[in-house]
Amino acid sequence: MVDSNVKERRGVHVTLRPMQASDAAITFGWRQAERARLLNAGAATVEQQAAWIAGRPGSEYNYIIELKNGTPIGMLSLVGVDKTNRHAETGRFLIGEEEAAKGVPAAVEAMKLLYELAFDELKLVRVHGTVASGNKLMLKWQKYLGMQEEGCLRQHYFIDGVWQDAICLGLLEHEYRTISLPRMAVLMKVGARPAA
Amino acid sequence: MLTQDGVLEIILRALHNLNDEMSDSEKFDVTPTTKLFGTDATLDSLALVSVIVDVEGDVSTALGRSISLTDDRAMSQKVSPFDDVQTLLAYIMVLVAEG
Repeated sequence: MVDSNVKERRGVHVTLRPMQASDAAITFGWRQAERARLLNAGAATVEQQAAWIAGRPGSEYNYIIELKNGTPIGMLSLVGVDKTNRHAETGRFLIGEEEAAKGVPAAVEAMKLLYELAFDELKLVRVHGTVASGNKLMLKWQKYLGMQEEGCLRQHYFIDGVWQDAICLGLLEHEYRTISLPRMAVLMKVGARPAA
Repeated sequence: MLTQDGVLEIILRALHNLNDEMSDSEKFDVTPTTKLFGTDATLDSLALVSVIVDVEGDVSTALGRSISLTDDRAMSQKVSPFDDVQTLLAYIMVLVAEG
C-alpha cells in the first residue's frame, strides 16, 4: 500500500509529491515514450499501472516530479530502504515531459531532494542503483553527480530485443557531500541564471 | 595550441555525440549558434551534463591540463557560459588563453 507518511518535498524549481493511483495515466504514458525504452518493462495498461502504484509497499518512496507551476514532468523513487544496513536504491527515474524540462534544472533538483531524504533525513550511508549499459546519457549523468561504478551484471536486461548489461552504481555519504552537492549546486545555479 | 576553431569543433562534436544518444523525436540541429541551457533551451539538465563532461574531457586532453566548466568562476560570469554555443566557446577561450 502507498504510505501516506511519504511527504511532499519542495525545492526551488521542482516539488516531489507522493505518487498516487490517479497518476496512473500520465506515468503510463511516460513509460510508453521513446525516452523510457531503456528502462525495465512496466505495466501493459493504465489499469495495471494504477494497480501497481496502489500496491507499492509503505517502505518505498515513490514521487512525481512537478514544476513549481504544478505541471508533472517525471517520476523518481527511493526503494529498498534498509535501516539496519543504512542503504537504499534509487530508481524509476524518468523525465517524461522533455520539453517542459528544457532549460530547467528539474532532474538535478529532483535527485538532490531525493538524496536529502536518503542522507540527511533517513541517515543512510549509501544509495545505489543500476543503469542499462546502453543508457549512456544516464550513466554519464549519474557519474558526474558522484555515483561510482561498482560492478556489472552481464546480460541483465533484455531491451528492444537486445541483451544489455546492468551497470551497478553506488554513492556513499561522503561522496554525496563532497561531489554531488557542489556539482548539483552549480547546475542549479546555471538553470537559475537569466540568459544573455 | 588549441585554436578557437578547435574548441568549436570540440563543442559541436559533444552536441553530435548527444544527438546520437537521442531518439528521433529528441534530435536537434547542431550549429555554431545552437541554444544550450537558458531561454529557449535546447537541452535539459541530463543533456547539459553530457555536453559538459565531453567538452571538459576533450579540451583538457587537448590542452594537457584540466579545466573545469562548472566551478564558481564559471558561475560568476556575467553571461552564463551555457547560454549557447558561442558563450561556451568564449568562456573556454578565456581558459585556454590562461595557459
